[in-house]
Amino acid sequence: MSTSLIPPESLARVGEILSEPVTVLIDQREAQRYAYAVGDLNPIYFDEGSAQAAGYHSITVPPLFITHALVRPKPADELRLDGLYEDTAAVSLEVSRMMFGGEEWDFLGPVHVGDEITGTTRLADLDQKEGKKGPFVRLVRETTFTNQDEQIVARSRQVGIAR
Amino acid sequence: MSQYPTINNVQVGDELPVMRKSASEAELFLYSAASFNPHRIHYDRSYAEYEGHEDIVVHGPLQGSWLTQFVTDWAGPQARLVSVEWQNRASAFVGEELEFFGVVSSIDETNGSVEIEIEERKKDGSLLMPARATVRLGGS
Repeated sequence: MSTSLIPPESLARVGEILSEPVTVLIDQREAQRYAYAVGDLNPIYFDEGSAQAAGYHSITVPPLFITHALVRPKPADELRLDGLYEDTAAVSLEVSRMMFGGEEWDFLGPVHVGDEITGTTRLADLDQKEGKKGPFVRLVRETTFTNQDEQIVARSRQVGIAR
Repeated sequence: MSQYPTINNVQVGDELPVMRKSASEAELFLYSAASFNPHRIHYDRSYAEYEGHEDIVVHGPLQGSWLTQFVTDWAGPQARLVSVEWQNRASAFVGEELEFFGVVSSIDETNGSVEIEIEERKKDGSLLMPARATVRLGGS
C-alpha cells in the first residue's frame, strides 16, 4: 500500500457542500445556443407546439444544459495561463494533475424554459485506488438540481481522477 | 404508427443507428462559448500541444451531449431519458471522425424502459467513451 494521497482534512470533507447553491433562470436563447453548439436540433428545444405534443408544458432544454446554465461568470483577469479560473471549490490533495473521469446523471423531472433551477454541489466521494500506472485519487462531485417548486429535476455525479 | 421504438416492439439486441460526429475548430469554439468554458486546450493548438495533447481537444461534456442526442434521436420526443453515464477513456481531437454505437441490453416492461450499452469510438476503432443509458420509451 502506497502512502496516502488524501490528507485527513480533505477526507473529513466528504459530504460537505463545496460551493454555495446557485439559482439561475433557464433562458431560452442560452439553451438554444447550447443546442446549436452541440448540433442537437430536436424541435422540443425550439418549438412550443412540438414540445407540448411530446408532453412538456413548454419548450424544454438539452439534458446536460443545466450544468452549464449554472456556470457563474467571472472577470477575465481572473483567468490562469491554462484559461481556467482558479477552482475555489478545490479539494486539497497530494497530487495535482486532475482529469475528467466521466459523469453519471439521473433525470428525475422535466426542465422547461423559464424554470428557476438551483444547483448544490457536494463532495460525494473521495478515495484512493491502485491503477496500472500507480495510485490515483477518485473524486466525485455530486450536484443536485432543484426547480422553483422544490422538486429535484436531476442529479449529476462528476468523477475526477487525480494523479 | 410512430417510427420510434415502443416497449411493445423493442427487443434485446436491437442496435441503434450509428451516429457520426466530428467537430471543427469553429464548432469547438462555439461549444466553449455556449458553455462559458475558457479552457485553452479547446481552442489554442500550440497551448494544447504544450500540455502534451496531439491537437485541440474535444470537450468531454460536448461528447456527453452527443451521447444524450444519440439516445433521444433514436427514442423519439415522447420518450424520457432516465439516466446516462459515461467514462472518458481517451481524448478526441478537432476534426476527428467519431462514431456512436448502441445496443439494447435489457428491457424493463414494468417501467416501460430499456437500458442501452453505448460506445463512442474513433475511426481506427479505439474506444473513447464506454457509456450506458436508460430511457423510458413513448407509447405505442
